[in-house]
Order: sequence, then structure tokens, then C-alpha cells
Amino acid sequence: MAGLRLEEVHAAFGINGVDLAVGEDELLVVLGPSGAGKTTLLRVVAGLMPATRGSVYIGDKDVTGLRPGRRNVSMVFQSYALFPHLTVGENISFGLIVRDVPKAEARERTVKAAEAIGCQHLLSRKPFQLSGGERQRVALARALVREPDVFLLDEPMSNLDLELRVETRAEIKALHRRVGGTMVHVTHDQTEALVMGDRIAVMRDGLIEQLGTPEKLWNEPETTFVARFVGSPAMNLLPGDGPVRPPELFPEPAWLIGFRPEAVVLGQESDPAGTVTRVDVIGEDSYVYLGVAGLDAPVVARVPTAQRPSAGETVPVGVRAAHVFDAATGRRL
Amino acid sequence: MKKLLAPYLIGLVVLVFVPFGITAVMAFAEYDLINEPRWIGWGNFEELLRDDVFRTALINSLVFAGIAVPLRLAIALALALLLHRRAFLGGTARTTAAVPAAIPEIAYGLLWLWLFNPLFGPINQFLGGSDGLTIFGRTPPGWLTLPNDARAGIIIMSLFTMGEMFLILIAARQALPRDVYELAEIEDATGWDIFRRVTLPLMAPALGLLLVRDTILSLQLSFTPALVVTNGGPPPYATTYLSLFVYRNAFEFLRYGYAAAATVVMLLLTIAAVLVQLRLLSSPRR
Repeated sequence: MAGLRLEEVHAAFGINGVDLAVGEDELLVVLGPSGAGKTTLLRVVAGLMPATRGSVYIGDKDVTGLRPGRRNVSMVFQSYALFPHLTVGENISFGLIVRDVPKAEARERTVKAAEAIGCQHLLSRKPFQLSGGERQRVALARALVREPDVFLLDEPMSNLDLELRVETRAEIKALHRRVGGTMVHVTHDQTEALVMGDRIAVMRDGLIEQLGTPEKLWNEPETTFVARFVGSPAMNLLPGDGPVRPPELFPEPAWLIGFRPEAVVLGQESDPAGTVTRVDVIGEDSYVYLGVAGLDAPVVARVPTAQRPSAGETVPVGVRAAHVFDAATGRRL
Repeated sequence: MKKLLAPYLIGLVVLVFVPFGITAVMAFAEYDLINEPRWIGWGNFEELLRDDVFRTALINSLVFAGIAVPLRLAIALALALLLHRRAFLGGTARTTAAVPAAIPEIAYGLLWLWLFNPLFGPINQFLGGSDGLTIFGRTPPGWLTLPNDARAGIIIMSLFTMGEMFLILIAARQALPRDVYELAEIEDATGWDIFRRVTLPLMAPALGLLLVRDTILSLQLSFTPALVVTNGGPPPYATTYLSLFVYRNAFEFLRYGYAAAATVVMLLLTIAAVLVQLRLLSSPRR
């Protein structure tokens, strides 16, 4: 296992100079909205798309000019890309067979990979006889069997239902802990990214907006984009001179202040009044949307459901601590 | 919905089932359009068994189908795999490959009559070179005058009319998912591996369908060229195929009953060929 390094990588369809280093045994999650360039980045690493500028290194080897088959990467596609006419066993061993690995060895390694993923009982079935979750396991086993230097996973969970997704997240993470290796996982699901990633690279418009641990991203978002994209509902972003801001903060129109719904304090008499426009009950907690005079967007607050106000009620809205961003650049101050 | 099907059903009955019924009945009769039909039982079939011309036509047809059908399919597949991508002049190349199928058969036949002319045709002019001999040191083929060369000529003509198969195969290839090919690329599969292990199995349903369909059509494909270009010859019956045999007996010799019997044999042969192919193609696959 070798690690992955990208230096100033540009590519058509929206990669505009990405610098990135992924450690030898690291699971990096690339997170971003549709069109951010996540999948393109993965395809450039795999060699399915050329880098128009910059270099891709796997280990210490510059693979920028190598064809996909020579990079020793394996990829799990969003669609899983299983061969419909081959059995699960044949699908898993495909990469070994075309590389002329002796049949007995290929069989042995296939069984071993299938056991590692927990799909050994499916080996003689055809893909159409499998459920979505089983197909995904087969795709993972196929990625594992060749012992690649880098695993690339392109939104492998987007076709699974929520329950299975939660289960699979944990399984992939456990698998990574077991087998190690450099793993790059692309997703647009921030929960998935926060749960799985050793580090997360947030992408936007073909650039990495922030790279850091899940805690760092959550607690210290570098830009307003990261602040809004990570977390649901998104972080409140209000003008620095607006009515709702921490009391010790000097009003400054060139700033934006950001705070998560759980940081909102309701019911302190000294705070400005807000009118409840909507209440979303999510089990134990509820999200309360408040309109405050002088603010265009509503302030979202998280409160225990038992203490939620009702729509139309007037409640004082305040915040004690907030992130401060430059309103012009969107960067953290 | 049932009413909407009526025109088709009426057409099917009037144009297919009724003529088929008449043909099947007529196969057991002697009829020349002038005299009343005469019931002769298995007489026509017994005569077919003894008829050397029929045997020649049958063998010619089977040889034609056995060579032309796989070749047409292979050429259509090769062209489809070559031309399915977007490329410079790709559209022009695709049109060129497909267009001969759109030319009326008679015009196509007359064109080949000129192309195949042993003395003045461009094919032999090209093959003959300056000394009039081919690179193998023999005289160029006598396309319309020597039996085997004429049979080869009819097969060559049929190879250029695979445009429809080509279009179906291009569509089938383009419908295959891109990611399985990308996966094969990542796994470092060679072009031959990809063809053998991915493309061919995934296109097998379309190929199987075309194989069955072309086998059925092959008995008709040889009719116009044999009539227009070789007129069933060179003598005695080098390019007389079953379809031409039936045509001659019915419309030149006015032996409708005999022609009907030969048609029934043709139909049974076609059904047998299709059943064998379906059996071969129905191995478990998905």
C-alpha cells in the first residue's frame, strides 16, 4: 500500500488545480455537491480521464501518463459495474484472470476476498439474483481481490436504502481498518463523510475548499460554503451588523456570523424578538424557523421537542458564540 | 385496443395465413392455372426427392446460408465495433456501411452485373493487373461463367447488404454500459479479453436474434441476384437456389403444385434451422 499524491492537477470537466495527499492507511472522503468535480477527480486518479496539467503520484511513482491498468488502483462504481453474464465468483476474479494469474490461485484469492466481505455464499449466483446491498459487496470484493495500491469508491452507497447505507458505512470503515490501504471515497452525503472519513476534502467548483478531520470541519469551517454544506439544517449565516449576534461582538457589516441551530438560545428577554414561522419535529428534537425583523433569512434553532414553541408565537432569539467570516471572500476570520 | 389491432390482424390473415393455407393445400395437387387442380397426394414431394435440379438448388441454398449468414454477421459486428464511437468521419463511415441495404435489389443486381463482368468489370480489371493475371499467377475469377466463382459472387453481393444488421449491432453496442468497459480498463484487460469476455457475451442476445433472422432471410436474399446477375447459371444450375427454383416452376413452367411443394420444404427447412439455433442460443444466460 502506497499513498496517493496529487500536485496542481487540472482536468477537463472541472478540476482546476487540486493539491492533495492521502496517507498510506488513510480513508479520505471527498465531499461536495453535484458538479463539484468529485467523480472527475476520482477518474483522473484512476486514469480514466487525462490530467491536462499537474501530476498524480501513487506511492513515489508518477502515474500521470500511465493507462488505468498500469496504476494498480481498483474502483467501485456507483452502478457497481458488475458483468451481468458472469457469476459473482467470475466477477470477483475478472481482474486476476485477465492478468493471467493461475486459475487455482485466482480461485483461492477470490474465496478469500469474498470471505473478507461476507459474500462467499453468493459466489455461484448471477448479479441479477442479488439485492442492491449484495451487489455492492461483490463490487467491494472485486476491488479487494487484486490488492491494489489505492481503492477508489465512487458514491457506492447512493443506490442503497437508508438502513442499509448506515450498516454499509460501518462495514466499509471496519473493512478499511482490517485491510488498511489508501482509500478515496466520494460522496455528496455529509453524514456519510463525517462518519467514515479519517479526513474529509470538501470540493467546490473543481477545487478543494477545505481538507481536514471531521471534527475540524464541523468545529472550524474555513469558508461559508463548508459551513453551510456540512450540517443539516445548514449553519445560520447572518450579517455581522444584524440584530442577532453574540453580545460581545462589535457590529461589523463586512462580516458574516455563522452558528449552528444548536447554538441558538431562545427565551432570553434581552435578545431581539423572533416570530416562529415553522416547526419541524424530528423525534426528540425540533427545528424552529424564526423570522427576525431586519433579517432576510429565517434563523433556525434546535430545541428539545418537549419545549418547542408553536408557529406564530413570538420568542426572543439570541446566540452566545459564533464563527466569523469575511462577507466578501467567505473565508473564516 | 383490440380494434386497433384489426388492420394488422386482417392483413396477417389475408396476406399470410390464407396464401400459406392455399400453398399447403396446393402442394398436394397439380395445377397450371388453365386446367382444374388435380389432387395427387404426396406425388409432388416424391418427385422432388427424385429431382436433380431440386437437389442442386437445395444444396446451393444450404451452402449459401452456411457461408453467407455467418460472414454477414461477422462483418456487421466488426464494422459496428469499429464505427460505434464518435470519431472524425465516423458518421460518413456509418452511412457508407449502411447505405447499400437501402438500394433497390434490381438496381443493386444490375450494378454488380457490371462490377463482375469477367473482361471489362472493374473488379477483374483490378485483380488482373497489367499482365492480366492475379498476384497468384492465375487468371481472375470468371464470376458469371464458372460455377464456383458465380456462387462466390452471389455470396460477395450479399455481404454488402448487411446495413440493417450493422445498424442494429451499432445500437446494441452503444446501449452497453460504459462503466463495465472502464472497469475492464482498470483491470488491465486487453482488447481481445474485452471483446471475448465482455462485448461478445453482452451482445449475444442481439447477435442471436440476428443470426436466426438472417437464416430465415437467407433463402430470399439469393433470389434477386441469382435472377438478375447469373440467371440461375452458369449451366446447368450453379446458382439456382430454392427461391429461384420455386419461381421458375411456378411462373415459367406453370407448375404451381410442384412449386408449392418446394415452398413447403423450404419452410420446413427454415423452421428446422431456427429451432436448432434457438436450442443452441437458449443456454442459461442473462
